[in-house]
Amino acid sequence: MTFKSVLDIDCGIRFMYEDLELNSSCARKMLLESEMMTSKREIDVYYGKLNELYTKDFKAISLKLMCLKDIHTTIKRLGAGVVLDDIELFEIKYLAMISQDVRKLLLEQRITAVNLPDLKKVVEILDPDSLNIPSFYVYDSYSEQLAYIRKEMRNISGYGKEIGEQEREQLLELQRLNDEQEFQIRENLVGKLLEYAAKLEHVLKSLSLLDIMIAKCVQMKRLGLCFPSVAEGVETFYCKMFNPMVKKALEEAGKEFCPVDIAFQNVPVTIIGANMGGKTVVLKTLAVNQLLAQFGFGVAAECCCVNIVDKIMFCIGDDQNMQKGLSSFAAEMLAIDSVVKSIRKGENILALIDEPARTTNPVEGTALVEGLLEVLPSNAGGLVLTTHYNIKNDKVKRYRVKGLVDGVMDYMLVEAESGDVPHEAVAIAEKLGIDREWIELTRKHLNN
Amino acid sequence: MPFIDEILKYDSLSIVGLEKNVGKTECLNYILSRLPLEKRRVAVTSIGIDGENKDQVTATKKPEIYLREGVYFSTAEAHYRSRRLVSELVEITNERSSLGRIVTGKVIVGGKALISGPSSGPSLKRWVKSARDLGVELTIIDGAISRLSSASPAISKAMVLSTGAAYSSNINTLVQKTRFVVEMINLPEADKGVVEAFDPVESGVWGLDDEGEIVDFGLTSSLSLSAVDKDITAGMRYIFVSGALTDRFLNLVANSGNIKSVVLVVRDFTKIFVNEMLYRNFVSRGGRIVVLQKSRLVAVCVNPTAPNGYVLDSGILCEKLQEAIKLPVYDIVKNRYDF
Repeated sequence: MTFKSVLDIDCGIRFMYEDLELNSSCARKMLLESEMMTSKREIDVYYGKLNELYTKDFKAISLKLMCLKDIHTTIKRLGAGVVLDDIELFEIKYLAMISQDVRKLLLEQRITAVNLPDLKKVVEILDPDSLNIPSFYVYDSYSEQLAYIRKEMRNISGYGKEIGEQEREQLLELQRLNDEQEFQIRENLVGKLLEYAAKLEHVLKSLSLLDIMIAKCVQMKRLGLCFPSVAEGVETFYCKMFNPMVKKALEEAGKEFCPVDIAFQNVPVTIIGANMGGKTVVLKTLAVNQLLAQFGFGVAAECCCVNIVDKIMFCIGDDQNMQKGLSSFAAEMLAIDSVVKSIRKGENILALIDEPARTTNPVEGTALVEGLLEVLPSNAGGLVLTTHYNIKNDKVKRYRVKGLVDGVMDYMLVEAESGDVPHEAVAIAEKLGIDREWIELTRKHLNN
Repeated sequence: MPFIDEILKYDSLSIVGLEKNVGKTECLNYILSRLPLEKRRVAVTSIGIDGENKDQVTATKKPEIYLREGVYFSTAEAHYRSRRLVSELVEITNERSSLGRIVTGKVIVGGKALISGPSSGPSLKRWVKSARDLGVELTIIDGAISRLSSASPAISKAMVLSTGAAYSSNINTLVQKTRFVVEMINLPEADKGVVEAFDPVESGVWGLDDEGEIVDFGLTSSLSLSAVDKDITAGMRYIFVSGALTDRFLNLVANSGNIKSVVLVVRDFTKIFVNEMLYRNFVSRGGRIVVLQKSRLVAVCVNPTAPNGYVLDSGILCEKLQEAIKLPVYDIVKNRYDF
């Protein structure tokens, strides 16, 4: 799973991506192409680096990274021995200079998160006059002959004065000689730079990685995210978990997000609770946090432990697809079926299913969910589903949204003994201000 | 050397031709060859392709842009590679054109180059800013009448206008058409209070009433007039059109009965898209238009030769035009105005 491929999962991961303040396009590209980390060692090493950066002052580095350009094509061409032109040599010099500056800043702050090789030689090759400014041309000092040709050109053209036919011819000839000389020098420069191609490639990657990590640290501080602890085959738990996207939307509307605590392992978890009680938000938050933890971002909780999985399967149940001729029920059944098949095959997945079988009659719907929980009595990666049905199965872990307390919604999750679902739908519909007569007639039906 | 000293009073200049082949490039070359580069750091760019040997539309011979030692120029990558001069690459900008990224070079040994820089208003603004970061004191944009935004005072404070036989081969028509453009460029600036009131407005049509209160008419632009259900001029001293001022809007004000008491305000002359006849009628009935920002028209240059071979009398043209616009007019090709 690449980061790009998970962006469309409707859980708020795109929000986290768009919120990230990356300086360079090559960092963006690197992040989008990055694979989800699935080994504890890899994730631990990554967070170790992030943790090191987190405590450091990286403003000056960030400023340097703003100038980073994606020149991997140029580096590839250099590696292939192609004679580069002025623009490409400028790019190489520019990258080498940024790298040297960042390297110095990293050394000063003793940051080891990325390792930048010394490119002093590269800068020297492209800066023969030791001017130390980020610009480039085939300098006069590369060849006496070149300097002589240019002096002659200047003598003839002066300050753009009118010149005769003969002088024009002379000038053209000099320009030709100049271009020939420049080519020879560029060829020579490429010969000298060739051995640094691999190092330059490494530098570009390291600087992109540094850009990503700094952006993640900034995001962690801004959104109040935590460093997760990750492990294989353990209980996943979140203390005061929140969904950054929903939290921001609520804050903009002057409201507060109510953080929730949740823990699960291989025993299936059901979440019951009133409508508008935030059950779907819990599932989305579990999805986004799992992704954040395995792509090396800060996680949206006060503290957490995340069990590593190979894949996240998120069935939100609105996959109605008229093009494929599938009703919402059919699409949902097929999606859940692929979860069952994956778990049967022994794949290490986190399965999150929002209100399975909700679009059919409650009798068969309940039976379908009971059946699902029996067919999947255990899943190492975790199985969490929400439902409005009364599920009798006592081998599951149950959470209930606290629900309406004195007419106010409490979104906290509490562990529940029984699967009895709350009956708050009418009260909530009433709060929404729907037609009075409809409510009254509904109540009459309930009383009968 | 006419008008060079005048240009040096400003930090940004645009050169606009009223038509193709009116000698705009000649005019640019004239300015570039005479600016004291040793005293002033100058950067030049052009919207769209310029400096090509032949005109891309009419296939007439065109003078190339000659860049002297020390001048900064921004052009597309492809054109930078084909330059016939020695230059130092100082920046690869984030702007792009169909010919690749826009790069900036500093001339080491003078010569000729094709210049095709950024073309949209916002990208030109960014170009001016990046040139300032390089320590450039005067930016020159070779613009086009079809992209008047380059001449907007928000981008260039001073401008030079090029006109000529290519615009009209009848001296009287040419003078009349040019005079109208000059009149628009020279529209008076609004009072300070009015500028302060309307300057922050980014879109729509707004008013300033007799009490000095600013009123939003709720129109997205002067084009959405059909949404108006009342006389917006009633009780207003000023009406500000933030986008394009059109014939229809001008007529609405002209026929409102308040033409004499209300003043129309536009951001700058590049936003005016009205017919000359309508404008004359509007003014003769007592209407007034003012601008928030005014460009300083430094000079008008003429090219008496049209691409079809028709040649006007340079002396008469200059004289007549000068009389009509009350500004110096120059035929740069005929009078070399030596160094």
